[in-house]
Amino acid sequence: MAEATIEAPGVPKRKTPVGTIHVVDPHPLNWLHITWNTMEEPVRTDAQGHLIGAAMGESRWVDDRTLQVHMRPGVRFQDGEECTAHSFQRAFEEVQKWRAPHPPGTSLNFQQGTKLELIDDYTLRMHFPEPDGLVLGKFRGFHIPSTRFWNEIGFGYKKRGSGEGHW
Amino acid sequence: MSADPFVAIWLDTRQDRSPQVVLEANTDHWNRERGPRLEKVVFRNDLTPQEALRLVCESEGEVDIVTEVSPADADRVKSSQYAHLVSTDAMRVLLGIINRDAAPFHDVRARRALNLAVDRRRLISDGLKGYAYPTAGLIPHYCAGYNPDLKPYSPDPQEAKRLLRESGYPEARPLVLASLPGLDGLANLLANDFRDALGVQVQVVVIPESDLLAAQHSFVEKVIPAPFDVLLFAWFDLSSDAPAAFMHSWLYHSMGPFRAGPPVGEFEQLLAQYARQTDQRELNRLDQEMDRLAHEQALSLFLCAPQALYAVNRHVKFVGHAATFEVAETEVDEGHWSRRGG
Repeated sequence: MAEATIEAPGVPKRKTPVGTIHVVDPHPLNWLHITWNTMEEPVRTDAQGHLIGAAMGESRWVDDRTLQVHMRPGVRFQDGEECTAHSFQRAFEEVQKWRAPHPPGTSLNFQQGTKLELIDDYTLRMHFPEPDGLVLGKFRGFHIPSTRFWNEIGFGYKKRGSGEGHW
Repeated sequence: MSADPFVAIWLDTRQDRSPQVVLEANTDHWNRERGPRLEKVVFRNDLTPQEALRLVCESEGEVDIVTEVSPADADRVKSSQYAHLVSTDAMRVLLGIINRDAAPFHDVRARRALNLAVDRRRLISDGLKGYAYPTAGLIPHYCAGYNPDLKPYSPDPQEAKRLLRESGYPEARPLVLASLPGLDGLANLLANDFRDALGVQVQVVVIPESDLLAAQHSFVEKVIPAPFDVLLFAWFDLSSDAPAAFMHSWLYHSMGPFRAGPPVGEFEQLLAQYARQTDQRELNRLDQEMDRLAHEQALSLFLCAPQALYAVNRHVKFVGHAATFEVAETEVDEGHWSRRGG
């Protein structure tokens, strides 16, 4: 198949998107597919399903209850705002308010009592009350939008005024 | 029961999809190597899957990708002059949830009998046209945490019948096999295996699409006893790195929404270790342990890992992802309708 993208002059590796496709996705998780195609998370999955860094460049366990996260520099939301540790913090504060912010269950919730410590604009630490070996997987469902998203739109629980599992 | 003054007896949680959802390329995306490579992606919700399949197979310009193609339609896509078939090893499993609260399925012998009654190869060839892999547990062979020592149960009708009899299964008792909508063909194949191998009557109950949400609520809430012996069920994972976090925990853990039966002590202990484990290798060793336990105790009727099938326009280069549907890396060639102009 011929290469479908075109090198834009003067910008290495930047390719100009070309073409339009029409998709019919009857999968019941279509809403999640669209979310994953349009929103940042700390991690995403590669074609084989393995977790790889996305908005998060890297992470390391400082001890078994403290995860240090380095946000990837240069990530910008569609509205131009930079995605930083502050964006992570806002998203954390928004979801942590609710008992069941992720339909249809609570397995993606961060532990109650988890504290966030900002080290600098790109670095933060998550302090868990108990070791959380599943936190990197939970990051797959931890959407990090811009400030405008939270202030003007929000997820379903902002619209409905409840994040208590009305699924 | 709630202590509040009123109880909601009706709550509509469904929302219709809008006719279309348009995604436009974010040309400032940080991952330049990845994409986006398309200017626009339009999700069309104004077509039924059947209409969409016809359009992708018989025309250009209307539909470029259809997800969730049934294996029964795979040959139609392969013979199309406009489309090709993309098959992807996916983080999906097909299984039977065994109701361990329904006697005698609290007894491992009865559960093993169900597993030994099924001819997985035939189920895959006849019911899924070969687009699936037999599974010994919940973890497919291409996933982290796969236990290579586990082999899928081999069909053994004599042993299956013996075990079921020993478990005290009453002779006249029909086996109730429920199924999610759309899985009725597979449910009937399974029912035939149960009848032939176990010599029992089988009642197949397909949950209507209109009742699915209520049935899910009822099952998850666990207030009313589950009205089935086996529920044919399709489950998935959000990644392939720590499968027990989503697969096993939802099906067997005491807090698992789809647990059908009492909590399993050994599983509770393993998952408690797992949730605290921050070393990936140790995490995957525990994945293997939990899959071994599920297999040995026949906690489910383990069947197969179906592939995800896509019908894709021949001018579209699309790579299927195991755990999601991604379009950032999708591109079209010069022959695609959107680039030909006019």
